[in-house]
Amino acid sequence: MEEQDYIVFENYLLEALSEAEKNAFEARLNTDTKFKESFNTYKELSSFLKNKFENESASTAFQENLKSISNNYFGNQKTSKKIIKFKPWQYAVAASIALLIGIVMFNNFSTPVYSDYANYESISLTVRGGQDGLLKTAENAFNTKDFAKAEIAFKELLITDENNTELQFYRGVTNIELNNYALADWLLKGLKEGNSVYKNKATWYLALSKLKQKDYDATLEILKTIPKEAEDYEAAQKLINKLD
Amino acid sequence: MSDKKKHEDQKYIDGLLQNNSFIIEAIYEKFAPKVINYIRQNSGDSDQAQDIIQETLITIYNQSTEKKLKLTCPFDAYFFLLCKRKWLNALKKRSYKEVTIKEGMLSKGDQAEELAFETDVFGEKHALYTEMFNKLGIACKDLLRATFKIKSMEEVAESLGVTYAYARKKKSLCIGKLTELVQASPKFNLLKN
Repeated sequence: MEEQDYIVFENYLLEALSEAEKNAFEARLNTDTKFKESFNTYKELSSFLKNKFENESASTAFQENLKSISNNYFGNQKTSKKIIKFKPWQYAVAASIALLIGIVMFNNFSTPVYSDYANYESISLTVRGGQDGLLKTAENAFNTKDFAKAEIAFKELLITDENNTELQFYRGVTNIELNNYALADWLLKGLKEGNSVYKNKATWYLALSKLKQKDYDATLEILKTIPKEAEDYEAAQKLINKLD
Repeated sequence: MSDKKKHEDQKYIDGLLQNNSFIIEAIYEKFAPKVINYIRQNSGDSDQAQDIIQETLITIYNQSTEKKLKLTCPFDAYFFLLCKRKWLNALKKRSYKEVTIKEGMLSKGDQAEELAFETDVFGEKHALYTEMFNKLGIACKDLLRATFKIKSMEEVAESLGVTYAYARKKKSLCIGKLTELVQASPKFNLLKN
């Protein structure tokens, strides 16, 4: 292609051609395959570049987050696969030590508490380069455990975005932390009965809220509704065993 | 594609786009074990599986931001096929090793296969475009970066200390140069067909 062709490509994409120029351009697209191919590649590259630079910061944030989740996941996989070989007599020793520790632990810590189980991580609510100030406020407040401030931000965000299940969920957790159980339970119950991706997480935290309120019967009842495929299923089973 | 119905698993695509940690973790929990198994059974190990899964998720992310990817099949099938394709490509690249592939059950021409193919081609093109962009001269790279970051061509011209008309012309010529680099690469012709 000539230099002039690329200039016309650009002007066509910018809709900066006159009616006559536009018609001539489209006519050539229909007859000249090479011209058309070049134009299509040019167009695709424009869209590629636009995306590459406009989303640069969001994309970097995504890749970093992905990397840490991936390392976490594969790290856990590797440690759980580590095998230590024992001789038979060592099993007997290990078993009696474990039993001893078990008895001591059981006597000392027989009542499980909320803080042993609430292990949510930092959250990231802002989507593209953080254009929304209020989301950022909520995110920062939550991550720095300033739950009173987080509650104010979540409350306001939910006024304009009332069906946002992510916000509902974190507002629920925030209110457990603030001991506003009525509000926390109401929010989490709504999610538990819904069908969002937060369904199982919300059920787990609803149980933890009851645990924090020392309502052990309600905790147990809710824990038993957590399905096998839920991320917290194993933790839920452990808690059931402790409470039962 | 637009007439086909969106699958409920679209939530995974949307979650990636929103950089939602819960969803990304859920993807690993639910879908990674199958991929890891497959790669382990086909001349790979779990480190390689980790890379393949990560690259695949980045490709899906890129395609969704640029082309508004719409899932028309279960995420499970789509994701597995994509990882598999990436792994087979990686194996081809280090073909000094003899490779035996244990084929799973796959039906040709189904929705997942089609979509995985599209995403795979997108990913390959994306890699090629990035490679060619890096071959451009510094002046072009800076100008293009400024053009798409700042958006207003007047401001771009000002920030680079050139006239508006020159900046606009230069932008077309730089993308033109990139077009030529891409078209001249043998890989592009393979991808086109």
